[in-house]
Amino acid sequence: MTSVPDGENTGGLPEAAGRRLGSGAWSSGLSVADFASCLSMGMEPLGFVQGYAAMHWSWYSSTYYRTQTMGGLGRVPGPAEQGQYSEGWQCPHGFVGGEHRMYGYNFEQTMVEDNWNTGWGLAFHRMVEEASALGAHGVVGVADAMTPLPGTGAVEFSIKGTAVTVPGAPRPDPPFSTFLSGQRLVKLIEAGFVPVSAVAACSSVQMISYCITRYQMAGTAAGNWSGAMSGGVAGVHSIVQVGKALRAARHLAREQMRSQLGHDELHGATLESFEKEVGEGDLTIQCLVRGTRVRRFKPFDPLPEAEPVVRLS
Amino acid sequence: MTDRPTELQKAVAALGQVAAHGGGTTSELSIDETLLLHSIGWEPVDLVFGVSWWSVPWGAWQWQTGEVLEASNAFAGALTEAAEQLRDECVGAGGSGVVGVEVELRVTSHHVDVTLTGTAIRRTGKPSPGFEFISDLSGRDFALLTRSGWWPLGLVAGASFVVAPRRGAKEWASQQRQNLELPNLTEALYQAREGAMARMERAARATGADGVINVKLREGPLGYNARVMQFIAVGTAVHLREEAHRPISPVMVVPLDDAVLQFAAESLRGQG
Repeated sequence: MTSVPDGENTGGLPEAAGRRLGSGAWSSGLSVADFASCLSMGMEPLGFVQGYAAMHWSWYSSTYYRTQTMGGLGRVPGPAEQGQYSEGWQCPHGFVGGEHRMYGYNFEQTMVEDNWNTGWGLAFHRMVEEASALGAHGVVGVADAMTPLPGTGAVEFSIKGTAVTVPGAPRPDPPFSTFLSGQRLVKLIEAGFVPVSAVAACSSVQMISYCITRYQMAGTAAGNWSGAMSGGVAGVHSIVQVGKALRAARHLAREQMRSQLGHDELHGATLESFEKEVGEGDLTIQCLVRGTRVRRFKPFDPLPEAEPVVRLS
Repeated sequence: MTDRPTELQKAVAALGQVAAHGGGTTSELSIDETLLLHSIGWEPVDLVFGVSWWSVPWGAWQWQTGEVLEASNAFAGALTEAAEQLRDECVGAGGSGVVGVEVELRVTSHHVDVTLTGTAIRRTGKPSPGFEFISDLSGRDFALLTRSGWWPLGLVAGASFVVAPRRGAKEWASQQRQNLELPNLTEALYQAREGAMARMERAARATGADGVINVKLREGPLGYNARVMQFIAVGTAVHLREEAHRPISPVMVVPLDDAVLQFAAESLRGQG
């Protein structure tokens, strides 16, 4: 699961939530089919649990503004901190003028990543805390969302799911959680995997284009200016800096995710990427990966080859 | 039959122990796909990516009619580069092939963007014979295809972008009060189609394929310029690995559940 920074106070359960959860009928976000599957597995719903966190949000860091003057000379990013992604390009033309982008940079925006991880982590821990308060073994059917709050410069992270108990089993601490529910969860367990935790990771990469990337993005990379003088990128050519930034964002998200897995595996991953042009030829890129961390609890022989069927209805 | 509650208790008890070995696998396959692949001797290894943007020079769309070769070539270059990255990542992760590749395409006035995302897979318990294929087939389709004696060879594609000639002033004026075909646009679409399909089929032949399956098309005017007709075809090249196609002979099943699954007022009126 995404970690909450040390010393971060997740706030505990609101008093009203504690009272509500302590009495009354159980609630659940399960469909009828999911409910039936849970019961057939020996899981019983305990309550619909949620966690929220509203975070101040900026797509790009102050580093971006400092690179916008003097053709990229306003602030040259120093050596990357250990383990962070950073890459640089230098203009082949020399000093031409203040507006000419002499340097280009791709760099990881840890400020954005930390903010996202904190927001998601807080909401997640609050949801799990509610489940623990109910005495749950786990949370199934987890769904998360990130919604901008208009006019506030903030986004709301919300994570919800259904807390369940497994009578007769020791209670894990923390409870397990998974995006799966219903038949998919039944199949996962029958295949010898147990869900450990819903996991998510966010990466953010800022691309400050240098002159050649700018020309290519604007379709003006033609003739000697960006052709012979710059290694021949005139006309139809790969926009190297953009490709590297986009791939780096995906790799960072995948590796952040992998770092949360330990010896376990990631199942049913989904990847979303967002690019936003934040200046002429400049991009900020975010990549989100979600999935369920699963652990093999028993060896599993391959199923016999599946029987193909045609449904007559 | 599995005693599910006991199984679940065992599973939950395992959460108190630390996994001893292995791990680190990432996959976007569903549990059904994972089980199906497992049943035919394959397993997921890693989530892999390929991303490439290629530039299209200014003016390419404006100062000509007919095919915009710059855009078609940019598409081919971007797809080839992204596929190479996907292959390299797959090999680096110890995989032999990539399935479930999601192909994202974007054509703007100044660049053509291709993004490929898939899951690298390998044979279970056998050494890898090296890289074998990239395919946009799902795990289920891959299992069905190989079962019937066919094999994926690679992702193949073709694209063509054609600028339709403008109508002359006299022609335009004479057609204002009529509903009729505009041959310049129809012909541009046909030209784009022939160019794209021919490129995709040529790419398939180059891999030694017998044909292309699961072809997906994007056709019609480009969003920002209605006179530019685009046609993009992407699919998986396949060839018959066995001597002959093996029929899968599916079993016919008749579900016995009620056809009316939910209450609907129409069913009371005897129209159902």
